[in-house]
Amino acid sequence: MKTIWLKWAALGASGLIAAGCATYPDQASTRRIAEKMVSEGFSTTPATAKRLVQDKSQQICSKIGDAKLSQEEAAEVVKLARASIQYPQSGKLVGDWKTGDKLAHDGAGDRIRNGKLEARKGNGALCQNCHALAAGEVNVGNVGPSLTGFGTQRGNSAAIVKYTYEKIYNSWAYFPCSNMPRLGATGHLTPEQITHMVAYLTDPQSPINKK
Amino acid sequence: MLKLRSGIAALAFFCLSAPGYTADPLGVGRQMLVEDNPGDLFVDRGKKLFYEKRGPNKASLEQCDFGLGPGKLEGASAQLPRYFSDTDSVQDLESRLLTCMDRLQGFKREDLIKKAISSPLSLGSDIENLSLYITSRSNGKKMNVTLNHQKEYDMYKAGEYLFHRRSGQTDFGCVTCHGEADKRIRLQDLVNMTDKKQIQEVVATWPAYRGAHDTIRTMQWRLSDCVWQMRLPDLEYASDFSIALTTYLHYQGNGAVIKVPGFKR
Ligand code: HEC
Ligand code: HEC
Repeated sequence: MKTIWLKWAALGASGLIAAGCATYPDQASTRRIAEKMVSEGFSTTPATAKRLVQDKSQQICSKIGDAKLSQEEAAEVVKLARASIQYPQSGKLVGDWKTGDKLAHDGAGDRIRNGKLEARKGNGALCQNCHALAAGEVNVGNVGPSLTGFGTQRGNSAAIVKYTYEKIYNSWAYFPCSNMPRLGATGHLTPEQITHMVAYLTDPQSPINKK
Repeated sequence: MLKLRSGIAALAFFCLSAPGYTADPLGVGRQMLVEDNPGDLFVDRGKKLFYEKRGPNKASLEQCDFGLGPGKLEGASAQLPRYFSDTDSVQDLESRLLTCMDRLQGFKREDLIKKAISSPLSLGSDIENLSLYITSRSNGKKMNVTLNHQKEYDMYKAGEYLFHRRSGQTDFGCVTCHGEADKRIRLQDLVNMTDKKQIQEVVATWPAYRGAHDTIRTMQWRLSDCVWQMRLPDLEYASDFSIALTTYLHYQGNGAVIKVPGFKR
């Protein structure tokens, strides 16, 4: 009796598929299908193929639509971010604001076209793409909040310097899954470059802190 | 009186919102001089390429089926990407063109792909001009991508997943730059693709004349350029990755009235 019922059910199901009752795949299938597209959709070398692979935090931070980050997930992203932060060997977190100024306005570095890696000494820091910088600069983005007067408002105490360094090194330590890249943790910027960014933001002489 | 006032308010709202998505102090708006669009010249070039007997087989593209039957171009772009049984895959306009230029005309797929994206300041590649001409035959038609075949559902869902997938040294996903209203990268307005109106404006206007390159550009090019900014490796032309994203975006933009060539910065 039972087997007959099963047979009918199986027939019914295959009939439905044949009749074109297509539906959205479940999440696991979507993931499998899409990840295959990622691994087959790019021309890569072993070195550049790594860029396509998500780390744990990126996986957590790729929520679809209105899906919310759970508290446990947020805590995990923060934990991973904290563990990633490395400080410069010198121990000095404040570098040269002039170098930082240049880097802040530099959006180039490490892009790939026709199999060629952009030929450059180091990467630009990308800040200008997303943040208002010195007062009066017009060609600035607004994906992130304005940084104009950052040091004037916050000062340059050891605590602020440490926060600024860590924020730039791994923004997710303070704001899990934010749109700000984890510039130090992903290797886009070196710890030394980040010290220049800290100087640029906090030094009273920096253009960002002038009226 | 009341009526008049709300009329004025509506008018003021229209005027404020029409020229661009955000107030734009330097006037580098997204919509420029649409009346005098150099892209129109490329339509004629595409038309010629379509009807000319070309390739090793000396055939035109008139027998190419873009989903509505061989040679039926009216409204064909409006329903792409879609599933094709002869290739057993979901194809966008550009990958479908590859199939026809290969099967009907005898061109080699690899050669076509190598030349698919032309250099700036050029007259555009064959595929760029053809894509524009074919899409122009859907001008005035409403975008109407359907999900009937299981592979169309799979493509759409994969596209949605990929749109939100963050990776690489910048942690970017498409959603980072195209998920919120009134955002800019430097002075470039970012389209908020979660907004129905804005995504409709996008899907209705590709292929487009791109001022900075002084030539015609397609959706495949646009995607590869965003991927470049994301610092990912080179996106393969007509890859499923790109078709999935196009399926997702086009479906989101259903109802948009096609009007190409678009005109982009
Ligand atoms: C792709 C966009 C993007 C880039 C590039 C970027 N940021 Fe951000 N930044 C954001 C966003 C979004 C926020 C707000 C969310 C957050 O705090 O993470 C932010 C927040 C910050 C904050 C915290 C502000 C506060 O009130 O404490 C600092 C500091 C900062 N960014 C500095 C920088 C510097 C310096 C650079 C370049 C080295 C940079 N950002 C590059 C998007 C970006
Ligand atoms: C770092 C920011 C950034 C990311 C990430 C990004 N884009 Fe873009 N995108 C842009 C900018 C900037 C423009 C407009 C460029 C211009 O005006 O020349 C743009 C334009 C576009 C357009 C054309 C819009 C129009 O005007 O019709 C499409 C489509 C698009 N992007 C899709 C995507 C997709 C899909 C992804 C992910 C694979 C993506 N973008 C990732 C910055 C980004």
